[in-house]
Amino acid sequence: MNPKTSPNRRELLQGTLDMLILRTLLFGPAHGHQIAKHIQRTTDDVLQVEHGSLYPALHRMQQKGWIISQWESINEGKREFKFYRLTKTGRKQLASEESKWKQLAKAIALVMSPASSEE
Amino acid sequence: MVRHRLKSRLSSIFRRQAAESDLQRELQSHLDLETAEQHESGLPADQAYYAARRAFGNPTLVTEDVRESWSLAWLEHFFRDLRYGARSLLKSPGFSAVAVLTLALGIGANTAIFSAIDVLMLRPLPFSSPDQLVRIYSIKTGIADTFGNPDGPSAPDVRDFAQRSHSFQKIVVYDTWRKNVSFGDLAGEPEQMRVGLVPAAYFEILDVKPIAGRLFTEDENQVGKNFVAAISAGLWKDRFAADPSILGRTIRINGEPYTIVAVMPDLTPERVESGLLDSPKVWTPFAFSDVWSETSRGERGYLALARLKPGVPLEQAQADLSVIAAALAAAHPVDQGVSVSIKKLADTRAGSLRPMLFLLMGAVCLILLIACVNLANLLLARNSARQRELAVRTALGSARRGLIRQLLAETLLLSLAGAAAGLLLAKAGLASVMMLHPANLPQLEALEIDWRVLTFTLSISLVTALLFGLAPAITGTRLNLVDALKQGGRSGTAGKGGKRMRNLLVATEMAMSLMLLVAASLVVQSLARLNRQSLGIRQDHLLKGHFYVPGVRYPDPSAIARFCDQFANKIRALPGVIDATVTTIYPPNNGWTQMLGIPGHPATRIQDIPAAQFGVADAHFRTTLAIPLVRGRDFAESDIATSPPVALVTEEFRRRYFPSQDPLGQKIHIGPPQFMQLPSGAGVTDSSDVTIVGIIGDFRNNGLALPPEPQIVVLYSQHPLVNYGFKDIVIRTASEPSSLAPAIRRQLHDLDSDMPFAEVQTMEALVEEESGGERFTAVLLSLFAAAGLVLAIVGIYGVVSFAVAQRNQELALRIALGATRANVLWLVLKQGLEMATIGAAIGLLGACATQKLTSSLLFGISPVDPATFAGGAALLLAVAAMASAIPGVRVMRIDPSEVLRQD
Repeated sequence: MNPKTSPNRRELLQGTLDMLILRTLLFGPAHGHQIAKHIQRTTDDVLQVEHGSLYPALHRMQQKGWIISQWESINEGKREFKFYRLTKTGRKQLASEESKWKQLAKAIALVMSPASSEE
Repeated sequence: MVRHRLKSRLSSIFRRQAAESDLQRELQSHLDLETAEQHESGLPADQAYYAARRAFGNPTLVTEDVRESWSLAWLEHFFRDLRYGARSLLKSPGFSAVAVLTLALGIGANTAIFSAIDVLMLRPLPFSSPDQLVRIYSIKTGIADTFGNPDGPSAPDVRDFAQRSHSFQKIVVYDTWRKNVSFGDLAGEPEQMRVGLVPAAYFEILDVKPIAGRLFTEDENQVGKNFVAAISAGLWKDRFAADPSILGRTIRINGEPYTIVAVMPDLTPERVESGLLDSPKVWTPFAFSDVWSETSRGERGYLALARLKPGVPLEQAQADLSVIAAALAAAHPVDQGVSVSIKKLADTRAGSLRPMLFLLMGAVCLILLIACVNLANLLLARNSARQRELAVRTALGSARRGLIRQLLAETLLLSLAGAAAGLLLAKAGLASVMMLHPANLPQLEALEIDWRVLTFTLSISLVTALLFGLAPAITGTRLNLVDALKQGGRSGTAGKGGKRMRNLLVATEMAMSLMLLVAASLVVQSLARLNRQSLGIRQDHLLKGHFYVPGVRYPDPSAIARFCDQFANKIRALPGVIDATVTTIYPPNNGWTQMLGIPGHPATRIQDIPAAQFGVADAHFRTTLAIPLVRGRDFAESDIATSPPVALVTEEFRRRYFPSQDPLGQKIHIGPPQFMQLPSGAGVTDSSDVTIVGIIGDFRNNGLALPPEPQIVVLYSQHPLVNYGFKDIVIRTASEPSSLAPAIRRQLHDLDSDMPFAEVQTMEALVEEESGGERFTAVLLSLFAAAGLVLAIVGIYGVVSFAVAQRNQELALRIALGATRANVLWLVLKQGLEMATIGAAIGLLGACATQKLTSSLLFGISPVDPATFAGGAALLLAVAAMASAIPGVRVMRIDPSEVLRQD
């Protein structure tokens, strides 16, 4: 882990990462490890979520009130994890980020492959 | 609300501990799960742990990043950085002390000069809406005026300005005169002081209200009803012990009784401009018999003060008055060629000090820059010596950002400590400058270190911290971890980039220090030239003093003449006195320009009227001052009131007005030609013509720096119309001149106990005071140049020693391989000299570029004087060689076998 690069990449990913986390939590509460794994798995390991970005993002989103957290035990109390869940504002945030993202994706698609853009 | 917020902040600090352990627990749970999963996928337990760690990344950094998302994190960082910074600075006290001292010099000098600039130019005047206050001046194009005051308007002009203009709330014309003031037997000796002759409007414009009593009434501005006075609060305390029953008491001004009707605050523009000593502390109404009559329109030299209407800009007011001045010039012959100018009262404070202040400010800025460069160099060296420490901390997970922040915190601490020391230095410096007490810089009286100065100091120290801290912090943290750690701190790579940067910085420093050196040397040389100026008289063993013969007790010119003769005779009889003269003239300033009628110089336009410096004296004038007689004869005792009037003129007068004729025997008319129709009572003309009987040598009558102007001297006994009560006595003594002052004072007191003897000074002291501003600049600039040079020496010494320490092995190897010690010494010297040469070249270019700034302060020397430039550069090179020789000699003593065996 090179300390030089992590801040820069986080800056780049910040907006997208927030959206991905919110989207993941839409299926239900999850802890940090689950969130990271879920994103990784659903993107066929294309997106590796750096933990250096994940936890700061979670704490930041919690401060903004998009998500809340709670310690819960699983496996009959054998292990405890901090679970994050979506709030009402978080849902709204997700909706707005999603629509922004779709617009962007569409716009990029128009540029990249003009012929197939008509669906 | 606020309280609530504060409470939540405080509780968030206490919650920090909980949040911190919560975060650790969360990250741990993540790591545990990851480890378990890795284990399940087939890795052995220990490898699974490391794989999990690798997948997770740097937990310290994650922790830090998360913490940053918490509120107040920055504040905690800040304090933590400061704490670390303080600890690491205390660990190297030598470095810290040098750094703080360097900064103290730079910041202290800036603080001191800023406080002067603040007082003289920036600080708002202590009056209400000070921006509305302006002074009005008359400006004459090419005409000498009758009283030698170059830019005061006349009363009728000001009255017309007030009546016809639309830009002002109020305009007032007033004056200040030196008068003899006696406070009564209980309140001490009589004193000659400036008395303000002011109508009530003067105080109304300033919005200054009486502490006790009332302002003058309109009625009291009439001659005969004007025997009322206002005194300043300071005078009230000093002379009357703040007596509450002061109103109604009587003081005597020029022998006449005035009733005190008011105590005024000490606050006046004169106080701001001329300081405590010479500002009026007594005011009487503005009452002159003929000041408002049309015949007084040519009598300029009064003071005018006005308050602009709210929102009226200066330019508009100026345009308003210019139109009126043009109309006046068309209507009145004496106003021909006279224009008007207004200036914000706040801008009249600095006066002639402006160029000096700018030069000094430039100088202290250079010093601060030199200090910054020095510190940047020190820090560069220190950081490269600390490379291992920094590398270790990076390896342990600190982000580079954090390292930079922490290095900057160190520089901030240094800078603040430097600012504190600098403040003390500035305070001490100002105190010693006040000891120099430049008598002609009275405005500096109000110098003090207040919150405005403190704010300035704090801001420059912050800027300074960034200036000298940023570059070293950035380059210092640009590490290659593996290299830095591997080197084991043996010699710490000062990369090529770092070395070039250090050399460049030192060269810059040299350049700035040379600029200071050149400026200081130029100013000192011009001061020396100024002081070497021949006055045209013998200036040693001369004492001068001023007295005023009041019209009340000496009602006509012959009474004044009798008193003066009597006084001079008594003084000449004193033991230790060689000669004495009662006169209005003594070098280096005369200040009484008189229009003349000279044969062969007909004048139909006012601009063409001949004029010369004029003055009256008794027959001992030339002999007392020891001015050489070139041709003709001196005044004689036989030239009496009833004999034909005679005059002495100077060589310059002959050159100007009789270039091809013999002036001896020529008749000159004292006063302007008839067409100007000035009444003789205005005191500007004299009915009798004088005959030139002698030509004397030139003497300084227009200041030390300017060449002598044409001068004519007449006898007061022969010119009753210009024989005013204002007189000086100049005494040639056999012994130390100031020792005679008490005896002279006693003689005057014996003749008239109500007459103070004022402005007593030796000629040498007077000349010194005359060049006080220049000396002040010279002293300060020399100090600054010395400080700059010392800093530059430290800088070059530091860099060369550092480089030598780095090259120790190489140099030892060279010696071992047969290089002579001289070779090695030269190798070291060369480095210092290279930097100095580049610096000197840049510095000389800089000195050329800034010549405009210096030239206005110089006298008789060019701002690009080649000898000064060469001398400065040579001194710089010599000093640089010396500073590099110290480490060089150390290298010569290297024992190669020992050095090479190390590590």
